[in-house]
Amino acid sequence: MLHAVGALESGTCKYVLISYGHSARSGDSMLRMLSDMTGDEAIYGHFGAAGGYALAAQRAMHEFNTGPDTWKHIAVGQRAWANLNPRAMMYDRRLTDDDYRAAKWLIEPFRLFDNCLVSDGGRACILTSVERARDLKHPLVTIMGLGQHNPSGDLQKADYLAGPTGAKIAGEAAFSMAGISREAVDACQIYDCFTYTVEITLQDYGYFEPGGGKDWFMGGAIEPGGRMPVNTSGGLLSEAYHMGLTPLTEGVMQLMGRCGPRQLGPETNTKTPEIMLCSDNGGILQTHACCILRRL
Amino acid sequence: MNVKDKYAIVGVGYTPQGKIPERTTLGFHLEACANAIEDAGLSREDIDGLICYRHFPPSTGEQDATPYLVAQHLGLSPAYMFQDAN
Repeated sequence: MLHAVGALESGTCKYVLISYGHSARSGDSMLRMLSDMTGDEAIYGHFGAAGGYALAAQRAMHEFNTGPDTWKHIAVGQRAWANLNPRAMMYDRRLTDDDYRAAKWLIEPFRLFDNCLVSDGGRACILTSVERARDLKHPLVTIMGLGQHNPSGDLQKADYLAGPTGAKIAGEAAFSMAGISREAVDACQIYDCFTYTVEITLQDYGYFEPGGGKDWFMGGAIEPGGRMPVNTSGGLLSEAYHMGLTPLTEGVMQLMGRCGPRQLGPETNTKTPEIMLCSDNGGILQTHACCILRRL
Repeated sequence: MNVKDKYAIVGVGYTPQGKIPERTTLGFHLEACANAIEDAGLSREDIDGLICYRHFPPSTGEQDATPYLVAQHLGLSPAYMFQDAN
């Protein structure tokens, strides 16, 4: 996003296309990446992104008493959104608290439904100036705030495991540019490679104190009809994995009012959204990008 | 750099998704891009910047999907190209 905005701001480009595509599920690309990433620590059983996130989540369980009781709300809540999205890989599969609990460990403390999907597919979007956008056909959705923070390159070089992650400073920068408080946000599209990623991101954005997610997510808070809808396409956990473009494009489509049965507003007993908070992170929680969108 | 409300997202491109055998990473890029251009009501001649999201090692039998290759197959000649995550 910052690269695209930079290319527009400098006058180098008028319309920037951002694209993602991957034959991740049917090809052997992910396996090749995993074997490229695997280092000496593999002899201790640590390799791949899931291992790193599991280690970070274990540390968070120790430091602020989070765990599956918090994460089940995220897995189940996002699935309820996916059940309204015919495009979602998990559209016709319901998920209950009991299903979540009964699932096998994939890598402790993550059960199957704490992990995102692996998908074949692609996603793209186009950025341009507000002046040019006014001449185009869709409702105007602007970038209200942007922030990025990259504390370290990988898990072994991280100064911390249980946060604050890059989300804290990236979020502060985005809210500062937008000139709004987090209470002004109507819904969130949060990069959700694992359920825990959603918790730590919202925690670092300041929505609750460390460990407060256990209460914050209760009562269907993020589900259809909830007070703060999160990942309304189903997200990476239940729609499809297109990295940061899954959350970002869903934020845009919701603000444009193009989401059919899952549309925020009267259809889902939620507020018609004006401001949307989107996130992306990379590495094992080390790099973070925050983007606040609004409908003008 | 304060760019509040200076820039907008004007089109979104989807593709089939899930388990879709016999399709390549490059093919998904091209379909998503073509659909985003159409969705925005633009033509490919309008596009002068291309950012491809995250570079993965190619699957066996596939070409490496660089932004150069994506641009060439779409018939674009961008002033700016880049490949990154976030």
